[in-house]
Amino acid sequence: MNLLRQYVQSILNARKLLIITFLLCFALFIYAPFTITLLRSVGKDWFGKAWLPPTLTLDWYKWAWEIGQVPEITKNTLIIAALAVTMSTLIAIPTGWAFGRRNVPGKEVLMSVILLPRMIPPIAYALGVARIFYRLHLVDTHFGVALAHTAICAPYAILVLSSTFEGLDERVLEAASVCGANAVRTFFHVILPMVLPGILSSVIFTFTTSYNELTLTLLTYGVHTKTLPVRTYLAVGEGYLEVTSAMAVILVIPSLFVLFMIQRQVAPEKLVGGFKGV
Amino acid sequence: MSDFLRRQRQSILTLLMLSPGFAGFLGLFFYPMMVTVVRSLRPEGQEVGWTLANYIEFLSKPGTRQVIVLTFVLAISSTLLSIVLSVPLTLILREKPWGHRFFRLTVLIPITVPGLVGALGLLVFYGSRGWLNLFVTQVLHLPKLNINYTVPGLILFYLWHYFPYTALTTLATLEGLDRSIEEAASVAGANDWQVLRHVVLPLIAPGILAGSVLTFMAAFGSFSIPLVTGGNYRPLSVAIYTQIESFTPARWSMGSAMSVVMAILQVTFLSIYMRVLRRPMA
Amino acid sequence: MTDYMIELRNVTKRYGNIVANDHINLGILRGELMTLLGPSGCGKTTALRCITGHNTPDEGRVFIDGEDVTDVPTHKRELGMVFQNFALFPHMTVFENVEFPLMIRNLDKKKRREMVMDALRLIRMEGYEKHYPRQLSGGQQQRVGLARALVYRPKVLLLDEPLSNLDAKLREEMRFEIRELVSRLNITAIYVTHDQEEALALSDRVAIMNAGRLVQVGTPEDIYEYPQSRFVADFIGLSDFIEGTVVSVENERIVMTVDGLELVVPGLSDVEKGQSLLVFIRPNDVQLFPAGHEGGENVFEGVVDKLTYLGDKIDYRITLGDRLEIRVQTDGRQRFEKGEKVRAYLPRERCRPVIGD
Repeated sequence: MNLLRQYVQSILNARKLLIITFLLCFALFIYAPFTITLLRSVGKDWFGKAWLPPTLTLDWYKWAWEIGQVPEITKNTLIIAALAVTMSTLIAIPTGWAFGRRNVPGKEVLMSVILLPRMIPPIAYALGVARIFYRLHLVDTHFGVALAHTAICAPYAILVLSSTFEGLDERVLEAASVCGANAVRTFFHVILPMVLPGILSSVIFTFTTSYNELTLTLLTYGVHTKTLPVRTYLAVGEGYLEVTSAMAVILVIPSLFVLFMIQRQVAPEKLVGGFKGV
Repeated sequence: MSDFLRRQRQSILTLLMLSPGFAGFLGLFFYPMMVTVVRSLRPEGQEVGWTLANYIEFLSKPGTRQVIVLTFVLAISSTLLSIVLSVPLTLILREKPWGHRFFRLTVLIPITVPGLVGALGLLVFYGSRGWLNLFVTQVLHLPKLNINYTVPGLILFYLWHYFPYTALTTLATLEGLDRSIEEAASVAGANDWQVLRHVVLPLIAPGILAGSVLTFMAAFGSFSIPLVTGGNYRPLSVAIYTQIESFTPARWSMGSAMSVVMAILQVTFLSIYMRVLRRPMA
Repeated sequence: MTDYMIELRNVTKRYGNIVANDHINLGILRGELMTLLGPSGCGKTTALRCITGHNTPDEGRVFIDGEDVTDVPTHKRELGMVFQNFALFPHMTVFENVEFPLMIRNLDKKKRREMVMDALRLIRMEGYEKHYPRQLSGGQQQRVGLARALVYRPKVLLLDEPLSNLDAKLREEMRFEIRELVSRLNITAIYVTHDQEEALALSDRVAIMNAGRLVQVGTPEDIYEYPQSRFVADFIGLSDFIEGTVVSVENERIVMTVDGLELVVPGLSDVEKGQSLLVFIRPNDVQLFPAGHEGGENVFEGVVDKLTYLGDKIDYRITLGDRLEIRVQTDGRQRFEKGEKVRAYLPRERCRPVIGD
């Protein structure tokens, strides 16, 4: 009997060991690229014979800061992202409300039409965007790049907000009006607090999309509207791996902040929830 | 009569509310797509005239087949691998082992950070002077592995970037699963493997499918990853960009024709994918 | 040694600081239907999961058919189980659901078909083989669950609140059906429920649990008539609890005073004069008479504080003497109004002392 018990235990332990190994490999798979980028960005004279760089330096960051014009580019990136988020949210609030709470004939079909820009790879219509923007002199303007981003951000925002609005409990609104609240008060005291998390997650996701966006940016940017991803891409071409690594580290910081927010505020599943119904 | 008017007013209001969304759709997606289609039918460099020459040239070029095959190979194999990775991973995470929150966050990383950062890190890590080769040469004493700028390497990078869609959807489905169903199966005599094979996998198949569609879509349209890590392997997206970036004057018509082909391929493949895989669960 | 089909010996299970099962000792006889009864969170489901093997006890052993199965995985324990939420396999037809245990056991196709059809006949679900669970009503789903549990003739049938997701009427029907099935197949069954009426109606024996402990095991009659603790008396049926001081002890009668009233209760060993004593009486054992009715032993003057009409009976709250409040239920024939003076008779043999808490 004891032998049997030991045997069962050993199988359980073997499985546990397997699981731990799997998880460790997985973490290594995801994090190792970041770790090595980080080390690259602070390492000097590191030619890959050693596991760790022999000397540490912040020179590459200085280079990135000065030659790579990181401050100006960060400003561009944030302005563009802010504009894209604002436009997407402004578009998404009325349209999301209509989809979520009003009687829209052929809702399913219209919704998939709206989501089409997320199903078709951006590169497939990026050329068209570029040609139109050239003609309208929108290329190399913050507004123009942000507008291009809105093409992919807005559908997402509409989807997230329409499901948020749909989730509003009719009875709570009725209860508010029964309690004597007028439309304005109902809006500020009841609806707004209830939809705020939804709007917040929509903002987070559109921000991330715009911040990370490269395809449409590459076809609409100019000297005045380089964004961080574009700059990093150009740096890859320039071939200074250390400086590029430093830029990549700078580029990733806001993303980590967003990740933290997501983990705190929003269920991670919502991040892909945006694609449901596709 | 007044009822009719009120209903009329309500539908106008709905229409007004929908209009920003559709204006955005028409102006930022539909119109550019149409411009792309029209451009693809113009002779290269000219603003008038209609021709199919761009399509004919693209589709008859010897390299075209390779480009399309490469695009599909990358997308399909990374999608399949994402399933292979996600199923055990989510089965483990569902049990909420120690540190599972950390691993959940880890799953999110590839789709939250800019693709470029990941691509760069992967290039360095798997490069000839990266840690992997250091491990291979110094610990295992084997010859260096060539991973960067190869098709298997690209598939690996695609997997890194796009598996979270599959993993997150599978995890959500798995966590929505009623545990007592599995308990019922084990009481009925099924061992862990049989429970997985006969009960859990069939039940989460729709979730895996939905997630893998997302992974496929992202991988098929992937641009920044192959742009940075592809080297001489250029899937459709990069090939399109090359038409604009590497030619002077830029070959807009050719690029547009390729864009249209890509959009059609994507939509066709997606609808087949959905139809074929949705049938067994109807 | 008694021939138990299932035996829990000293089973203890903790979740962190919470002791879900505290040294449970319980034996279930062959062919017996035993109910585990208790409020939610009392540990009855934990005990059941120790039997199925979904939980491993921290201490103690579990025996099935004389064999120590504590370390045997669930799928080798040869059990049948019916779940509260039915737990049918949604992607399989009724036939495939019932066939599942046989498929796992690699029986040949023809034999399987025979056994499945037998099981479906048993629960009167022939003709539904090709249906999917979602096309069935709750009652039908639970029947299929029963067929799936019984199809391979397991040693033991476990039922985990099988009726609580069904509506009241169906619940009563299914109750008899399950009782009948278990007797007919002569199978050992454990039935977990929090519904005392259900437990009394269908069990051979009832095991009552509270806060992780087994508090009383006995036949339904035993449990109802002779609860050994205040908890059991309170949990099973309605009870009026009356606490007083013993003034005299004779052979067959104990006299105690309660708020100035003199109550006579049946004799009991180990009771001394001057100690306090708790007795209980079921509200429908109290008899009410109009104010002028003749007095006698255990007849008290009272006033109706409140009454609630319940259809087949009337529920009164009555104050006896100065401040002893009791609840009385009578059939609807006799009616007293609120504020009316009445006389209440608490038959001596119906006033039962409770020892434990």
